[in-house]
Parts: sequence; structure tokens; C-alpha cells
Amino acid sequence: MSPPRPPEPILHVDMDAFYASVAAREDSSLAGRPIAVGNGGRGVVASASYEARAYGVRSAMPMARALRLCPALLVVRPDFALYARVSEQLREIFLSVTPLVEPLSLDEAFLDVAGSVRLFGDPPAIAAMLRRRITAELALTASVGVAPNKFLAKLCSGKAKPDGVLHLRASDVGAFLAPLGVRDLWGVGEQTAAKLDRFGIRRVADVAATPAATLRRIVGPAAAEQLARLAVGADDRSVVPYEAAKGMSGEETFERDVDDEDVLRRELLRLAEKVARRLRRGDVAARTVTLKLRYANFATVTRARTLPAPTDRATDLHREAVALLAALRLERVRVRLIGLGATNLVPAGAARQLGLLDDDRWGLLERAADTARGRFGDAAVTRGALLDD
Amino acid sequence: MKFRAERGEFVDAVSWALRSVGARATLPTLSGVRLEVRGDRLVLSSTDLELSSELSLPVQGERDGIALVPGRLLGDVVRTLPNAAVSADADTDRLRLHCGRAQFDLRLMSAEDFPRLPEPSADAAVAVLKAEEFARTVAQVARAASGDDARPVLTGVTLEATAGTLTAAATDSYRLAMRTVPWDQGAECTALVPRRALEEARRSAELLGSEVRLVFEPAQVTFAFGDRRLTSRLIEGTFPNFRQLLPPGFERRLDVDRGELLEVVRRVAVVGEVNTAATPVTLHLTADAVRVTAGSGEVGQAEESLPGALEGEPLQIAFNPRYLTDGLDAAGSERVVLEFRNELQPAVLRPAVASNAPGDAAPAADFLYLLMPVRV
Repeated sequence: MSPPRPPEPILHVDMDAFYASVAAREDSSLAGRPIAVGNGGRGVVASASYEARAYGVRSAMPMARALRLCPALLVVRPDFALYARVSEQLREIFLSVTPLVEPLSLDEAFLDVAGSVRLFGDPPAIAAMLRRRITAELALTASVGVAPNKFLAKLCSGKAKPDGVLHLRASDVGAFLAPLGVRDLWGVGEQTAAKLDRFGIRRVADVAATPAATLRRIVGPAAAEQLARLAVGADDRSVVPYEAAKGMSGEETFERDVDDEDVLRRELLRLAEKVARRLRRGDVAARTVTLKLRYANFATVTRARTLPAPTDRATDLHREAVALLAALRLERVRVRLIGLGATNLVPAGAARQLGLLDDDRWGLLERAADTARGRFGDAAVTRGALLDD
Repeated sequence: MKFRAERGEFVDAVSWALRSVGARATLPTLSGVRLEVRGDRLVLSSTDLELSSELSLPVQGERDGIALVPGRLLGDVVRTLPNAAVSADADTDRLRLHCGRAQFDLRLMSAEDFPRLPEPSADAAVAVLKAEEFARTVAQVARAASGDDARPVLTGVTLEATAGTLTAAATDSYRLAMRTVPWDQGAECTALVPRRALEEARRSAELLGSEVRLVFEPAQVTFAFGDRRLTSRLIEGTFPNFRQLLPPGFERRLDVDRGELLEVVRRVAVVGEVNTAATPVTLHLTADAVRVTAGSGEVGQAEESLPGALEGEPLQIAFNPRYLTDGLDAAGSERVVLEFRNELQPAVLRPAVASNAPGDAAPAADFLYLLMPVRV
């Protein structure tokens, strides 16, 4: 008989200022100084050391702004190959404790340790051991949340930072959540928070006290259900050890902001070609097309549409993305980044709705182009519309 | 502006005019309903620039004038009015409504920015249809139109008038619905009408009965019902040549009870519905039976058989269940005839003209639903 499942079996392990800490570890002259990892000029801060954060530098902030906030900031170029190696070592440590490891990115993961308590002790003891091993073997620090589920564990690791651990007992969940701001709820961004604020809902306790019907009116039915559940700390998502590909996407940051819709449409064609080629290479087709735009002021919008039948053709991806773009009615808004995603994937061999109007000439053409590119390289075949730049 | 109106008529008029009030209008003025008193008539109008509505009703007019009232608010107010005559009095920035002992004082919007509504010109081609026939035609055809703005022409229903017939057709590129009705006027014209406008016109036809006058113009179409009219902008672009899509002949013909097949397909399709990729239903056609199956290894399977008379070789063909049930639902007759070539070519579904012996039915000529199969 296996022991009963502990009440708080989920760990969220999050490395502290991962890229910056790795950089400081590699170059001891950087230790203890304000560091930002990222490309200079138009780049953004990928990671900032705690010394830099004291000046207000945050990740995803434009580097230019970070330098204004902290003129002594040391800008370090990212070394993704190195981060990937460290991340792999980290994963080895996790996997030595439990097979149920769900990586969220290079530097954070969820662990379900329910099956490991007999070997390694209760979840807080496992958290402490992981932190010790990470410091000893990688010379880095991590913060860990120990909680009944993923949502709470992630919240706890955030509150434990830096270099700490927070164990939230199932019996304390209500008291822990009540005073937190609504922004701490998973999925609540600036816009949802603003909507809630208009109704005086600012703390998690307010959300929990709001009748379901009212919540539905404020944020819509789907979001309301999720909010209501999270506000009482309920989250039944399990730790999924291996994350299969959810979709393919491509994006492009322009050298200079673009306000010409023709240029945007042409860039979308290039991205559609790229994404469609990856879909075909993976023998999958996508039902949902997503358009992503980041404006010059860094506001980011995404728009998506689900098609009645899946596609792996650039022509279809491009047509949908252009329609999503047109629906935004930009009117010469300056765009900094544009992206196209294809998600909701199905195997290409699956049942396929045939069309009345298209005779699949584009499909044949795109496949022929794939073959030519395979033999002669990527530049062998391109669209006329993409030639003049 | 000042008038007295009967409560019921006023409430009806306001809720009808609200249909074309701009929901997320870029121009705030479009969220208003315009009231104008001229003598003993009150004219209400609204527009979202794509669809405009206008109606006129008899009132006891006391002072001519114009007022632009926030539409949503006016609608909410009139719905709650007690059962008594309504009197309205507007000055430059307020509308006072009295009804029984209730009194409302509503802020007006500036009527100056309200766009001039398009009016049908006197010399345009006009067709008159029975409201019931018009509503039925739209209900049968509009469902096949696409909801995808990426191909705007497919979001509309094309109306084609020739000497003696009016044809309505719509397709989302997976299925096509087409209905032909006779009419007396001889004008020849075509119009590609947004689906939403036609659905609104259908609702009005169902509500008001009698007849619909269709006025065709190069950039707009008007549906007039007595004192009311809806005018819609047309979709630009060329609708696919749908007649060319109709298969020239068939190799197999199935005669089957419509209601029974509809029920079986709906029931069997349930096992595919958990999958967002819309698992198809497969029809296994043999000489005297149709076996319908659906399902996948992951979820489970379902099957059910029903009698059906097949002319030609047995066939297995799969469809998106929604497209098939849409077509069966639209056909409306007791029995339907389905014609097939093979499992990769479009099938044609038509209502069967009543006949004494099953298996001997002839397809009706006025409604046709073409649907593409799913390749499995």
C-alpha cells in the first residue's frame, strides 16, 4: 500500500533571476552588481539581477528604459546555449526526486512529489533538499512554493522570492488568499483587473464574495468560472510531465516600427509560409490561427480565429491572419512586432473536410515548393509578393 | 417635438428600431434612435452604417421636431412603461416621457451628427414576395453562409432575380444552399446581401406577415414592410459561380425519411462532439438501408440503421454532421432525395416531392443543398 497522498504535494521551483545569476556565476566580476541580460539598443531585459531590480529594472522592460533607471547597469548578452545546459542539469535534479516534472520554461517547473514522500520525506523536506542541491551543484539559488495545487504553488514561490521557500497548508489557503490583490489570480491581467476594479473588486476576498452571476457579467462566463475557482484556491490541473507541441508560430521584430499595412501583410505572408512549412514537416494541420501585434508603445494584442476545417497551407493561414489584422482597423498605428501562430493541431492524416471551391492547387504548389526547398535550400522557391525586398 | 402615442405601438416601434442600433459603434451618434414628428406621424430610425431601419407610425402630433435618444436606454425605459398612453416632449437637450404616473427625463444626443439614412430610389427594380415565402427562403439558405470575415463574399447571401424567378444562394465553401421562388416582376438584377441583414429582414417578415417589397439598387437593397423598411449595404465582390458547382449527374440516389435520418445523425454524432475537430458521421448505403456510424478509438463509437431506398451501387461516404443536419433541417419535407457520385464528390440533397410509393419519389426543383464529404 502506498501512503495517502499528502495534502500539499505540488512544488513550484523557480530559479532566482536565472539568466542574470548564471551570468554572475560565470564571471565573478559581475557578482553583487546590477546586471541585465539582453541585447542592447532596441532589445528588452530578459532577466535582471536583484541588485538591478532595486533600481526598478524589470524583465520585459526596454533596455533603454532600464539604462535610464540604472545608469550603472551592466548589460550582458544572453547565452542561451549555456542556459539550456544549466536547465538540463536542473531537470536531472528534479527527475531524481519524481518523474512528474512539468517544465514551464528553462528555469521553472512544477513537481508532483506525492509518490516521493516515503523515500525523501514530506513535501517541505523535499523542497529544502532541492534547494540545497541546487545551491551545491549549480551554485545558483531557487525559490520553492509548496502547496495543494499548481496555482497556489506558483503563487507561493513568487511570494518566497528570492532564495526562499513558502509552504502553504491546505487549511490556511483561505486566509492566505483573502488579502491578495486580484492580479495574483492566474489569468488576471491589467484589463481584467481594471474591469473588476470598476466594481470595487480589488482583493481575492472580494472575488470570492462576489455572486457568480455578477462575476459572469463583469468578465464573461468562461473567465468568471475560472476566477471563482481560483479565488477559493481551487485548481484541478495535474502536473503533466511532457508537454507535447501545442502549436507552431513565428514572429518578427522590425528594425524600425512599421505603419504600412502592405508591409505588415507581406510579413504575414512570410510568417505564414514559415509556419505552414513547419506544420507540414510535423505532419499536422492547425485549426486556430493567431495574430500577434506589439505596438510601438509595447502594448500587445493577440487575435485568434478557429477555422471549420484544419489547414497546413500558408495561403489559408495568411488569409485568416490578414482578416484578423484588418479587423483591428489600425489606421497607421506603428507596429514593432508581428507574429502568426497556428494552434489546435490535429494529425494531417485525420479526416479532412473537402471544399467546394478550392481544388487544392495551392496545397499541391506548397508541397512542391517544400520538395524544392529540401533539395536546393530555402531560397530556391519564394512567392512573387516577397521578392522585392 | 411633442406627441402622444399608444403604448403598445410605441414599444413595438422602439424595439424594432433598436435592431440596427450600432452595438460597438465607432461613431457614438450611431448608438441613438432618431425620433422625428411630422404632423401626425412619428418616424423612428437607426443605423449601424451597414444596416438601417426606419418606420413610421401614427401618433397624435403636437409639435414637429427631431430628437436623438440613446437607443439602449430608450429601449430599457419603454419596456418597463405601465399600460397607459405615452406622451413625449423634447426640447433641445431633454426628452420627457410621461406614461401613467411614471415620468422619465432623458438626456438627448446631438441629432446633427446622425447620418442621413439611405432611401431607395423610385426607379429601382422592385420585387414583391409573400412574407411567409420570403422568410422560409432566407431560413433555408442563409444558414449555409460563412461566418469567416477572411472571405467576405462568402458571408453573404446572393439574390439573383431573372424574369420570373428569384434565386437565393449561400455557401461557406463546404456546403451550398440554394432556393428558387417564382415572382412576377421582370427586372434582372443581383445583390450580395450580408447574412445578418437578411436574418433581420426574415425576423421582420415573420413578425409582420403580409408581403415584403425588395428594392434592388447597385450598392444597397431595401426590404419594405408597409410602414417599415430595412436597408442594407451590399457586400462588394463576386460571389462564386455556384451553378457551375452543381454536379452534372449522379451515380447513386437515396430516398429516405427526412425526420428519421435527421434524428439518427444527431444521435450518432454525439460521440464525435467531444472532439473539437468535429468527427464525421459515415453513411453506409446499401439497397434498402442506411447505416450511420460515428466515433473514434479514443472516445467510443455509435451506430444506428434506418430504412432507405438506394438506386445504384452501395457507398460509404462521410460528412461533417452539422453540415448534414443543417441541410436535412432546411429541406423541411417529409422525405428527401440524396444524390451521390462517389465518396469524394459533392452530394446533392433535395426535398422529395410527395409520392405514393417510397422509393419512387422525385426531387423537388425549388430547393437544393450541396455538401462536400469528409475524406477519411
